[in-house]
Amino acid sequence: MTETIVITSGKGGVGKTTTSASLSVGLALRGHKTAVIDFDVGLRNLDLIMGCERRVVYDFVNVIQNEATLKQALIRDKRHDNLFVLAASQTRDKEALTQEGVGRVLDGLQQDGFEYIVCDSPAGIEKGAHLAMYFADRAVVVVNPEVSSVRDSDRILGLLASKTRRAERGEGAGAQHLLLTRYNPVRVEAGEMMSVGDVEEILGIPVLGVIPESEQVLAASNSGVPVIHDATSIAGQAYTDAVARLLGEDVPMRFIDAPKKGFFKRMFGT
Amino acid sequence: MNARTSGTAAEALEAADVRFGQVGIANVRVRNADPATLRAAIELRVREAPALFERAPVVVDLSFLSPQPDAAGARALLQAIRDAGMLPVGLAYGDEATDALAHQLELPLIAKFRAAYERAASAQPAAEHATHTATAAAPTPSAAGEPVTALQHPHPVRTGQQVYAQGCDLIVVGAVANGAEVLADGNIHIYGALRGRAFAGTAGDKAARIFCSEFRAEIVSIAGHYRVFEELPSSFAGRAVQIWLEHDKLQIDPL
Repeated sequence: MTETIVITSGKGGVGKTTTSASLSVGLALRGHKTAVIDFDVGLRNLDLIMGCERRVVYDFVNVIQNEATLKQALIRDKRHDNLFVLAASQTRDKEALTQEGVGRVLDGLQQDGFEYIVCDSPAGIEKGAHLAMYFADRAVVVVNPEVSSVRDSDRILGLLASKTRRAERGEGAGAQHLLLTRYNPVRVEAGEMMSVGDVEEILGIPVLGVIPESEQVLAASNSGVPVIHDATSIAGQAYTDAVARLLGEDVPMRFIDAPKKGFFKRMFGT
Repeated sequence: MNARTSGTAAEALEAADVRFGQVGIANVRVRNADPATLRAAIELRVREAPALFERAPVVVDLSFLSPQPDAAGARALLQAIRDAGMLPVGLAYGDEATDALAHQLELPLIAKFRAAYERAASAQPAAEHATHTATAAAPTPSAAGEPVTALQHPHPVRTGQQVYAQGCDLIVVGAVANGAEVLADGNIHIYGALRGRAFAGTAGDKAARIFCSEFRAEIVSIAGHYRVFEELPSSFAGRAVQIWLEHDKLQIDPL
């Protein structure tokens, strides 16, 4: 049984690729054979975050255009034998993707026994984003706690309910999850940022996880090691929790409240 | 098809196909013979829902005008509709006079609406009730003759989506997001937050109302009378409200 999960958002720069990388590593760590595909043809980033940019020989577009086999293009992760990356092409644009071609690649991965296929969607609502979500069984909508990101996510949720293969077949929208990133409880408390509750109320779908704003995320991206590997970082721990919830486990939310100031800090300030 | 059609005839037939298909089409009921008034009314509709009405093909129904305009008058009315942004493609069936007018204007007479009129005529012989019956007999009568009372939308209406209940009420179970639009020729009921835009009575029904369980709308409109909410009045922001039209003024009251 293969499950295809799209990581999408509408808005750019909210953390789709970071999330795709960490969730797919998390699924692999839990023993599931996982592939992660970069749909952002022309602006490929996933290979950098996954630390395999120097091992990209063939890419997603090569496979779609029958210039390489799926086996040739899948890059095995250095740390996990059951995790594979399918990189986007840097030299093409999104027009190189076709619905038929994407469907063929996903079928091929299913035949190879992959349990999870994570599709890292580009920003926007055009062809790349459309094809990334079209075949998905589930969707993780990545949203920052601010109004423009929330509105774009709402638009994406509408498209997920109407423009996917499931919707066209009348099977209804698949499961939809909300993942908040760059969450800063201190700023939420100060009223500068929307709270989990605000976002959840507007979008009306359950929250899969809340990833706190953390300097380690940027450091992890730059070093090509997905942040979920960093067990000391709160963002890494939050992604581990999110993976557990994706697998149906009931894990309490962490890192959503501002740390209480201790007695001395209250007396003397920080 | 005759399989033994000669070569030349078959080739000639290949140049064009004639197929029958059903298309939904809007019906403009003209109630005022003044082209400028008509133009203003249509422009308002087009502005309210450009995605729906801009360059929309429409069938023009002149049967509410008495006397029926002559060819020149009808041409001026059609031009007014065109100027306002909709494209008249035919006249709705009225009587022999309409038929004659359609010939003069070189427009087709769309007979699809005929059944509605004949039923209305037999049920309500008095001409002064024509307005009401036509409204009740909805532009989309189903084959069984069952009136469509409401369009039910059991999902949230997301940003960028538009839901239009033609000729009936609209019931939304879920929120209407910022940047989403709900329209109905009848009333609109929203069991959830209204954060986007709601247009009731879009065909001109001034008795239409809007109900919602949490009011945070951007724009509400009834029969073309609209109000924009740049700031939500604290007296009913976030509350359950109903909105109706009284002496051409929008009224909003908490429920």
